[in-house]
Amino acid sequence: MIYKTALATSVMMLSAGLVQAEETYRIGITQNNVGVDSYQTTYESAFEAAAAGMDNVEVVVLDAGGDVARQIGQVRNLVQQRMDAIIIWPTNGQAVIPAIRQAHQSGIPVVVTNSKIAEAGLDYIAAFSGPDNVQQGASSAEMMCEALNGEGQIVQIAGQPGYTTAMERSQGFEDRLAEACPGVEILETQPADWNREKAQRVMENFLTKYDDIDGVYAGDDNMGVGALNAAKSAGRADEIAFIGATNFAVGYEAIGNGEYYGSIYQSPVDDAEAALQTALDILAGKEVPKMNFFETPKITADNLTEFDKPVF
Amino acid sequence: MASAEDVKQGFMLSKNQRAGLLSFLSAQGILVFFLISMLAFSLFSEQFLSQSNIMTVVRQASIIGIIAVGVTVVIIGGNLDLSVGSMLSFSTVLVVDLHDKIGPTNAILVMFAMTLLIGAVNGFLIGFMRLNSLIVTLAMLSAIQGLVLIYSGGQNVDIANQGDTWFAFFGRDYVAGIAVPVLLFGLLAVIVQVVMSFTGYGRRIFAIGGNPVAAVYSGIRKNWCVFSTYLISAFCVACAALVLGSRVMGSQNNVGQGYELLVLAGIILGGTSLLGGAGSIWKTVIGVLILGFIQNGLLLMGYPYYAQWLVTWVIIILAVWLDLAYKRKHLFTTHS
Amino acid sequence: MTTLKSFLRGGAFIQPIWIFVIALFVFFSLMSEYFLSLGNINNILVQTSTIGLLALGMTYVMINGNIDLSVGATLGLAASLAVGLQPLGLTVAVLASLAAGIVIGAINGLIVWKTGVNAFIVTLGAMIGVRGLIFVYTQEQSFYASNFAFVDFGASTIGPFPVLAIIFLACTLIMHLVLKKTGHGRNTFAVGGNPEAAMDAGIRIGRNMLINFIIVGFFAALAGVLLATQMGASTPNLGRDYELWTITAVVLGGTKLTGGHGSISGTLGGVLAIGILRNGMNMMQVPAFYVLVILGAILITVLIIDQRLNVPTAKGVRA
Repeated sequence: MIYKTALATSVMMLSAGLVQAEETYRIGITQNNVGVDSYQTTYESAFEAAAAGMDNVEVVVLDAGGDVARQIGQVRNLVQQRMDAIIIWPTNGQAVIPAIRQAHQSGIPVVVTNSKIAEAGLDYIAAFSGPDNVQQGASSAEMMCEALNGEGQIVQIAGQPGYTTAMERSQGFEDRLAEACPGVEILETQPADWNREKAQRVMENFLTKYDDIDGVYAGDDNMGVGALNAAKSAGRADEIAFIGATNFAVGYEAIGNGEYYGSIYQSPVDDAEAALQTALDILAGKEVPKMNFFETPKITADNLTEFDKPVF
Repeated sequence: MASAEDVKQGFMLSKNQRAGLLSFLSAQGILVFFLISMLAFSLFSEQFLSQSNIMTVVRQASIIGIIAVGVTVVIIGGNLDLSVGSMLSFSTVLVVDLHDKIGPTNAILVMFAMTLLIGAVNGFLIGFMRLNSLIVTLAMLSAIQGLVLIYSGGQNVDIANQGDTWFAFFGRDYVAGIAVPVLLFGLLAVIVQVVMSFTGYGRRIFAIGGNPVAAVYSGIRKNWCVFSTYLISAFCVACAALVLGSRVMGSQNNVGQGYELLVLAGIILGGTSLLGGAGSIWKTVIGVLILGFIQNGLLLMGYPYYAQWLVTWVIIILAVWLDLAYKRKHLFTTHS
Repeated sequence: MTTLKSFLRGGAFIQPIWIFVIALFVFFSLMSEYFLSLGNINNILVQTSTIGLLALGMTYVMINGNIDLSVGATLGLAASLAVGLQPLGLTVAVLASLAAGIVIGAINGLIVWKTGVNAFIVTLGAMIGVRGLIFVYTQEQSFYASNFAFVDFGASTIGPFPVLAIIFLACTLIMHLVLKKTGHGRNTFAVGGNPEAAMDAGIRIGRNMLINFIIVGFFAALAGVLLATQMGASTPNLGRDYELWTITAVVLGGTKLTGGHGSISGTLGGVLAIGILRNGMNMMQVPAFYVLVILGAILITVLIIDQRLNVPTAKGVRA
């Protein structure tokens, strides 16, 4: 029965496609949680701006508000509206797979953006476009090693539990650190849900609990700056190397002031444009690799001037 | 669970002794529980009772505490306020965003005015329109969160020169060795407690929460009283936003998400009844501190952060149950 | 005029919320070309089935004069168990999830009955605690159902209708009949309307409440299992804030928080109103930020209208 519906939908799509072939592509995107942080908001406006700059693209932009079930509903709605392609920023790398599979079965190509989905889902997507979060974690581990000269005790402040980006960065960081820098020990890991104030509280507790902390790895700069705030009020910021990811404006400034060791430069504009371009390439029938990572270089005081200050 | 043990023992004592033990536990139950858990934590972690740790916990608890002071007044008046979490996001984003645009003084004034305005909307709908407070503040929880996002366009807000603004005073400074947030918390708690215990206004709030019909017959203007409790609640949220904005020097749009539940948990733990007409600010202060110390103690002992949720579940129900059991002189209800 | 008023007040079979549902339906049909189609209506039904199932149980508990804030967490736990226990067999996993919901409902109900603590407090505690249990069980991980049969069930259809929508509508019908036609249903109203009188009439109010908490626990778990089949996966954060939407839907449907008054047909209207609003605003591309404000504003408006209509029948001094 399902296949019947799917077939009917794809027949309709086909006929619609024939009529509109030279006219416009309709692309739907469902984002993870716009408004929870500036990265996602900037991504959204960059995506809309990029689409507005092309005459043959019409976009439907949705936001899942961080809720997996709502995102699945949105994917279904987009299938219902017979989009030419669907871009999804997964709220969860596992839970969205069945919805993606459904879109795939309806003949609509799916591009996953920003945050990867689990292996089992890769068969159903046309392509992934985004940063390599495992690699980012590994790069941060290398910076940490460099900052501490291979010796010391650190704490980790992770993103929201259960979210792919948080898990991949932690995993990349921990694996690479153990391999490249056995002299650096992770004392404890606590989540701070991408929230600066929460990171500040977590760090205050770490500072009370441990008399000797040499470094902090935070899952993004927002949390890293929260940790820096806490260490500054405790008068211990000088003895600690702070390393983050997803460079925010506040992190960029802190690197400039010498308070913050380094981060990973990741532009939401690149991210959004890459996703849209990948979708368009697929629709144009080009050969597209499955995994499309855009560059996310390390940023420290040494190469700060090579980068523009992030707008968020 | 020390108090669970006590309850068990209570069963084995004679009826008289049981009543005596219950009355003691209920009158001071929360305090006893507080002391026992503090002792237990200090056995497991040497840093727990250190001065710096205690100061950290009290400072962290003070944002929730400041809000809880206001919400306690609303609850004594017989209503609820679930909108405080979104309101905290709103006020924090507003004051931080306006700080660089119109200067700290004006930003604070505008923020207080806008927060009080939202409080007035709550108060109008509940006090004058007599709508159910649970649903109104639930709807406001959603609507205000939307307003925050529309206002900021979803962007984080930051204060540019964090080093040289006197705005840092509220969240980061110390007066006479005590952190300003703690001072503000203490000051608000004392003032509101005095107002509630010793003024005619306080008595009227207790009266409308306890027996609204009798209160109206005795000439109390219930509409205005209820309205005013929401202004107090909003004022407290504005103070909390001041501390939060100054502490972080920036804000995310959902920074207050979930605070309404922590605030409620603290108030309930302290022993203020949700039915209205009873309660005190002191109890709320103790309730909020207990939550803070349990969270901190479990973290210091190395438990995962979610262990505190399980513990909170048990102690909330135990605390309220013992209080009720004392009042009716029976552990269990008698109906079938 | 009186008949119109009594009709709007919900005295008739149809609740005022249904007028709103029909108005929304017409509005969105005119505004979006994709809205009015069998596929989209099926979509709406499937999407509302989750909150809908929660709301069925919540209606009983609220007619009882209680409330259950733990439904979202219970849903999350059931979903995690339904996916996480699949290595032991699908039947075991599903039964264990439903059992978990029943046990949590029973715990809530027993505490409310035996200790006399306000249901708001008991279930607020459970909401926090059960979420803790989910994290203990899942260790913060999401689970993924490698068995696509589980997923295909969630996406399957009978004729043109999705199975999930049919299950939801069948449950709605059963719950409607139980409330209207059985002794348990009548007692539920009596306990919420006037507990003392109910007790004098020999109704075992504690037992009645316990059964209703078990019912809401069961439906929360069922909603969790079905949501898990839709997703083929579970996440530890699943179900967060669902209690708020559930209570909103039930209140929109005309059930009173004070107890003693309410209906399943009204609740169905309330659930559909929220579902159609969300779906329609999606179709019209209303920015997510505005959706929050619109939903809040509509809820308050409905409350005001409902209260204006009810003013003349209010008992005692309402100053």
